[in-house]
Amino acid sequence: MTKEEVQGATEEEQQAQSKKGLKKQQKEAEKAAKKAEKQAKLAAEQQSTEEDDFAKDRYGVSAMVQSQQKLDRVLVRVQDLTPENADQLIWLRARVHTSRAKGKQCFLVLRQQQFNVQALVAVGDRASKQMVKFAANITKESIVDVEALVRKVEQKIESCSQQDVELHIERIFVISQAEPRLPLQLEDAVRPDGEGEEEGRATVNQDTKLDNRVIDLRTTTSQAIFRLQSGVCQLFRDTLTKKGFVEIQTPKIISAASEGGANVFTVSYFKTSAYLAQSPQLYKQMCICADFDKVFCVGPVFRAEDSNTHRHLTEFVGLDIEMAFSYHYHEVIDSITDTMVQIFKGLRDNFQTEIQTVNKQYPSEPFKFLEPTLRLEYTEALAMLHEAGVEMGDEDDLSTPNEKLLGRLVKEKYDTDFYVLDKYPLAVRPFYTMPDPNNPKYSNSYDMFMRGEEILSGAQRVHDAQMLTDRAIHHQIDLEKIKAYIDSFRYGAPPHGGGGIGLERVCMLYLGLHNVRQTSMFPRDPKRLTP
Amino acid sequence: MPMYQVKPISGSHIKTDLPTCMYKLPNIHAPQGNSYTSEHAIQNGEVDPAVKALEARQEEIMKKLYDLKAAVEGLAKTVTTPDADLDLTVSSSLSSQSPSSTTFNGISDLDTLLGKDLGALRDIVINANPAQPPLTLLVLHSVLCQRYRVLSTVHVHSSVTSVPPQLLSCLGPRHADSYARQMFQLGFTLIWKDVPKLQMKFSVQNMCPIEGEANVARFLFKLLSPYPSDPALATLVDSWVDTAFFQLAEGSAKERATVLRALNSALGSNPWLAGPEFSLADIACYCCVLQSGSASSTPTNVQRWIKSCENLGHFSPAKLFLQ
Repeated sequence: MTKEEVQGATEEEQQAQSKKGLKKQQKEAEKAAKKAEKQAKLAAEQQSTEEDDFAKDRYGVSAMVQSQQKLDRVLVRVQDLTPENADQLIWLRARVHTSRAKGKQCFLVLRQQQFNVQALVAVGDRASKQMVKFAANITKESIVDVEALVRKVEQKIESCSQQDVELHIERIFVISQAEPRLPLQLEDAVRPDGEGEEEGRATVNQDTKLDNRVIDLRTTTSQAIFRLQSGVCQLFRDTLTKKGFVEIQTPKIISAASEGGANVFTVSYFKTSAYLAQSPQLYKQMCICADFDKVFCVGPVFRAEDSNTHRHLTEFVGLDIEMAFSYHYHEVIDSITDTMVQIFKGLRDNFQTEIQTVNKQYPSEPFKFLEPTLRLEYTEALAMLHEAGVEMGDEDDLSTPNEKLLGRLVKEKYDTDFYVLDKYPLAVRPFYTMPDPNNPKYSNSYDMFMRGEEILSGAQRVHDAQMLTDRAIHHQIDLEKIKAYIDSFRYGAPPHGGGGIGLERVCMLYLGLHNVRQTSMFPRDPKRLTP
Repeated sequence: MPMYQVKPISGSHIKTDLPTCMYKLPNIHAPQGNSYTSEHAIQNGEVDPAVKALEARQEEIMKKLYDLKAAVEGLAKTVTTPDADLDLTVSSSLSSQSPSSTTFNGISDLDTLLGKDLGALRDIVINANPAQPPLTLLVLHSVLCQRYRVLSTVHVHSSVTSVPPQLLSCLGPRHADSYARQMFQLGFTLIWKDVPKLQMKFSVQNMCPIEGEANVARFLFKLLSPYPSDPALATLVDSWVDTAFFQLAEGSAKERATVLRALNSALGSNPWLAGPEFSLADIACYCCVLQSGSASSTPTNVQRWIKSCENLGHFSPAKLFLQ
C-alpha cells in the first residue's frame, strides 16, 4: 500500500466516524433533554409533596455537627433499652444496620457496637409518607439521631440483641451519611465459613476484610475479639501488679541486635543505622540487675522474619515478664503460669458473651486449663511422642507438627489446652540460657503451649558474667557485639528468669481462631503495611 | 452322776521359754577393784565415773523399756486384728520396716506391672468430681506412697469454678523433690473436674480410660499386691467392692442396712471380708461405710472390723477428709 492510499483510507474512516459521532451526539442531547424534563417533573412533584408534608421538620439531613450548640439532650445507649423503658420517649444515636421499607412503614435495625434494636417508621399522625420514604433511603452504616417511643413487643425479636423492645420513631436526622456502595457487607463478613458456600451467599475473604479494616472492625465478631484482647491486657496488668511486679517501658530503637543478628529490622538513624527491638529482654534483665525485683512490660516487638504463616507477624504486642527468684527457677514458672491461669479465669468468667459471639462465626471448643498448670519435662514429651510413633533425637527441637501432636496427646490425657514443657535441651536454646546443674545436656528453660502452639519461651538466664562469656564463646558469638549485655552482670546480679508472650497469639489460641491477623487490629506481615 | 473325763489342757511337762529380749547385766553390787579410788574422788566433789556409767546404762535401759512399752501398746491395739501390721504411731525404732510392706508383699516391680518405661514418668491421671471425693483412691494413694516414690499433684480443671481447700491438699504436702519429675517411679495426678463418673487415664496410646471409682481402685490395688489367685476368692473381693460402691455409697437407707447386715455376718466367721487376708474389699467397704455416715450405728462384728481397719493406719487420709 502506498502512502497516499493510506491517507485516503484514513480520511474515509474519519468521515465515517464523524457521522457516527454526530448521531451519537444527537442521541445524547435527546437523552439529556428527557432527563431534564424528568428532573423538572420530579422537582415539581417533590415541591408539591413537600407542600403537603406535615412532618417535614421531623426528619432530614442535619447540618454537620461543628459543635454549634451544646444540647442537654440525653442519648440512651442501645444496650440499656429494656422493657423497663417502655413508653418512654428517648433520643438515641446509632448506625443504620439494615433498612427495609414495606408499603407505609419502614423497619430499621439500629446498631451500636455489638448491640442492635429494631426501629419502625410508619405513616401515621407523627410520620408522613415522605418521612417513611426518607427513612427507607438512608444508606446503610449512616449515623442517625432518632427520637422514638420505646415499645414492648409481644414476640421476641430474634434478629436483634435487644429482643424485648422496639422503637417507634418520631424524628429521624442523619448525622453522617455513608456512601451507598460499601466495600463489604457486614452480614457477609460475619458469616461462618462454609455456610456461605452452601446457600450461595457471599463471604468476604481475609484480604478484603483487612483492606477495609474500619468496616470489618464494626462487625460483632471483631468487636468481641478486640474487647477480649483488651481484657487480656487488663488482666495481665492487674494480676502482675497484684503480685508486686512493676510495669516498665523499654526503648524500641536499639543500637545492637539483642538476639543474634538475624530477623532484625534496620532503620536509618541520622548518620548511622539502628535496629528495631526484637524483644525487650536485655532491658528487662537490666532492670532486674537494677533491683526492680519483678518487672513486666507491654509493648511492640519487631521481627523481620519473612514467613507468611498463620501465626507470624512482623510487628506484634509482647507481654514480657522478668523476675528475680530466691532458689529455683520454678518460682518464675509458677508466677507466669499463675498469671496465665488468672487471665484464662478472668476471660471465662467475665467475657462469656464475647466468646460466644466469636464462636458463632468461628466455632471452637471452649479453652480448657488446669490450676495449677500442668508441667511436663522434655524427656517425658519425647517419650510420649515416641509412644505415638514419632522418631526424633534426644536433643532435637520440637518441630511444629510434633508440637501439635504433643498438644493433642497431652490434651487427651490431661484434658488441658495449656501446659508447660520444662527442661529443654541446652543445644536448642540461646546462649544466655542457664544449663541444668544435674545434666549438662539439658537447660533450665521452658516453653508454654496453648492448643498445641507455643506462646511463650523462657528460661533462667545466666547471671554470671564469666559463665555468660563462656556460653557465648561456645555459641561462637562475637563478644564485642554483646559486651554491653555481659557487662551488665559484672556488678552483682540476682538469679532471675522470665519469658515473653505474644498478645495476638494468646487471643487467637484462646478463641481457637486460625489466623493471627484476626486478632491483630492492623496487622503487619511481610506483605502488608497498610492500613 | 457320771462325770466327763477331760483331757489335761496342757502337757504334763511345761518348759518355760525365757524371753530372749531380756538383758543380762553384770552384778553391780559386787565389789569392784577400784572402789577405793572412786570413794576418794567423791570426797573431792567429783562424780564417780562408775556411777556415771551406771546412770547412762539406766537411762538406756529405761529408753528401751519405753520403746518396748510403746510397741506393746501398738500391738495391743492390733491384737484383735489377726494379720494386722503395726500401727503407724509405733515408735520408729521398731518399725524400721515400712508398715505397708508387711501387709502388701508380693510383686513390686513397676516395669513388670506397667510395662517398660521409656524414660518418662508413669503418670496415673484421675479425673474426679469434687462433689464425690474418691476416698478409696486417697487411701490407696497413701499406701502407694509408702511403697513407691510417688509424685502427687492436684489440679483443678477449668470446668470447675472452685473447690474447697481440703480437696486441694488431699494428697498431702508437696514432695521436697517435686521439681524433678524424673526422680519418681510413679505419678499420681488428681484433677478435680466436672465429670459424671470418675475416670482414670494412664497410657493414652495403649489403654482405654478406666471409668468408675471401683475399677480404678482395682487397678491401683494391683500395683500394691497381687489379686488372690484363687478365682473364687478374687470374685468374692470383686463382689464386695461392687456392693460397697453400688449399695453402700449410692443405695437407699434400706439397701445400706441390708449391706451392713451382710457385712456383719461375713465378719462373724472371718477377720476380714475376703477371708484371712486384708484386701481391697475391706478398703472399699470401710471407705463407703465411712462416707455414708453410718459408721457409728453398725452391728458388733462390723464395729470390731472398723476398729481393726483403723488400727492399720492406712485410712487417715479418708478420715481427715470427713472431719
